[in-house]
Amino acid sequence: MAGKNRFSVSDRFEYLQGLVTEFQDSDSDEAKEQVLANLANFAYDPSNMEALRTLQVTELFLDMLTEENENFVEFGIGGLCNLSMELESRDQILQSGGVPLVISCLSSSRDETVLSAITTLMNLITASSRSEITDSAVLQCMLRFSHTQNPRLRNLACVFLQEHCTQKQVDTARHALQGQSQSAVGIPLPKD
Amino acid sequence: MDGSVASSSVWDTQKVYKHHEQQNVAQTRPKYREGRRLKAVKVYTINLESRYLLVQGVPAIGVMAELVQLFALYGVIEEYRPLDEYPAEQFTEVYLIQFQKLTSARAAKRHTDEKSFFGGQLHVCYAPEYETVEETKQKLQDRRRYVNWASQNAAKLHSQQAEVNTESSSSTDTRTAEAPIMQKNPEEARRENVNSDYMGFPLLPLPPTADISYRLQNHFTQPSQLQWTKETTEDKMGSLHNFIPPVQKTSTQSESSSSSGVKEGDLRQKQKISTPSIRFMPRTTHLESRKRKLDEQTFFLKEADKTGVLIGPKLPELPKLDMEDSSLNVTANLIRNTMTKAASVPEAKPVQAKHTTPKPRRRI
Repeated sequence: MAGKNRFSVSDRFEYLQGLVTEFQDSDSDEAKEQVLANLANFAYDPSNMEALRTLQVTELFLDMLTEENENFVEFGIGGLCNLSMELESRDQILQSGGVPLVISCLSSSRDETVLSAITTLMNLITASSRSEITDSAVLQCMLRFSHTQNPRLRNLACVFLQEHCTQKQVDTARHALQGQSQSAVGIPLPKD
Repeated sequence: MDGSVASSSVWDTQKVYKHHEQQNVAQTRPKYREGRRLKAVKVYTINLESRYLLVQGVPAIGVMAELVQLFALYGVIEEYRPLDEYPAEQFTEVYLIQFQKLTSARAAKRHTDEKSFFGGQLHVCYAPEYETVEETKQKLQDRRRYVNWASQNAAKLHSQQAEVNTESSSSTDTRTAEAPIMQKNPEEARRENVNSDYMGFPLLPLPPTADISYRLQNHFTQPSQLQWTKETTEDKMGSLHNFIPPVQKTSTQSESSSSSGVKEGDLRQKQKISTPSIRFMPRTTHLESRKRKLDEQTFFLKEADKTGVLIGPKLPELPKLDMEDSSLNVTANLIRNTMTKAASVPEAKPVQAKHTTPKPRRRI
């Protein structure tokens, strides 16, 4: 890992800062998409996480989740998925009130967005955030996902239910799903 | 419907997913964020990665063993098989390769995607849809563990680097503290030049190399300036016998020592020559010294050319006349060469010149 660092910490920081600045200053959606994807991919590398946190890229990603442009949402949640793997970044997302925003991504019509959202939610589970994330509506959504044709979505939803939810929670959610009190979380709105 | 999906093994899934398709690369990136390879605008997350690789574009000429050998270079392969039912281009096959480790799959994809293989171009992508629930769970756990291990390591490394940085910055501080001393040298040299101008003997401008001025400062300017001012006052008093011996010493040094020594010697020599010329300068000596000055000038220019640090405009080269006749041109070249040869002779034997210089003093 140490041998991989071709650039010094300050060089990295400057480069990432340049990206953030370009994202903020650019008027072109195409350029913004590219920069956002760059930043999200940089968030994959643990050695960049500190710089990205300092530059408040977490906030930037969270802001993207409410964008109209589907690419922005996909790259933003992808970046959050990468960042939330690390504990400090996870806490930053939780402090910024990111959970409802991430849950809203479950209703996206894009597979990648939904997958990133599930993984991010799993990463964000802590003792204090557990109740918010394993909410009944989310569980119902996961149950629905666990029966889809898409194996990736199915697997991830199963992991979510197996790892982070009690059998009791799952049972009540399943019961609610069969009954009348269904939630609409995770059901994409029809396209116009 | 659910039952059929659950009962079917992962190895039976033959659906083409969106992430299997090759996306168009972005052509509009500005230079500073253009990587070595053009890539599509895409975000990689752990969800997209997998120990399973889907290899498309393998020529259907029975090269499965070679393919597996190629991929085995990047790590242990647990399982592989051709996906016969997977929609493939004509005359190509699609393979599924399962590595033992995700890192191996990553390295393999990085090095084999879009590479040519037996005349075809491989398209390699992750195939996470072949994972089981357990494998997905394991993958996520491994990733989380790795990221936190690495970020802790990075924090350690960062603090170490910070220490190193403070050390190195202190060392650069000392370096910058030294720099002003070096920069004084040209100033002193200039002062010296002004001095000599005032005395009516313009010195040649010092070569612009830093090390020379440094050397001059150490070995030449300070002692000799003192010497020289002392000697010139003696000169005004009409006694010059103290003046000669040190000059001869340096000139003999200059013959033997390095190029900088030569320069010092030449400079001193010139001072020595020009000093007596105030009162009595026979025309022959005057011409000689003038020629020597010219030689020194060319010598300095040559020196500067060699080191490549000549500042300012160069002297114009002698215009070559075209005599409009080939035989005349040959003769002109011959004469020119002989002239340059003749001009370079006194430079070759400066000893003679030195012997001639004490002569006028004997007439005092």
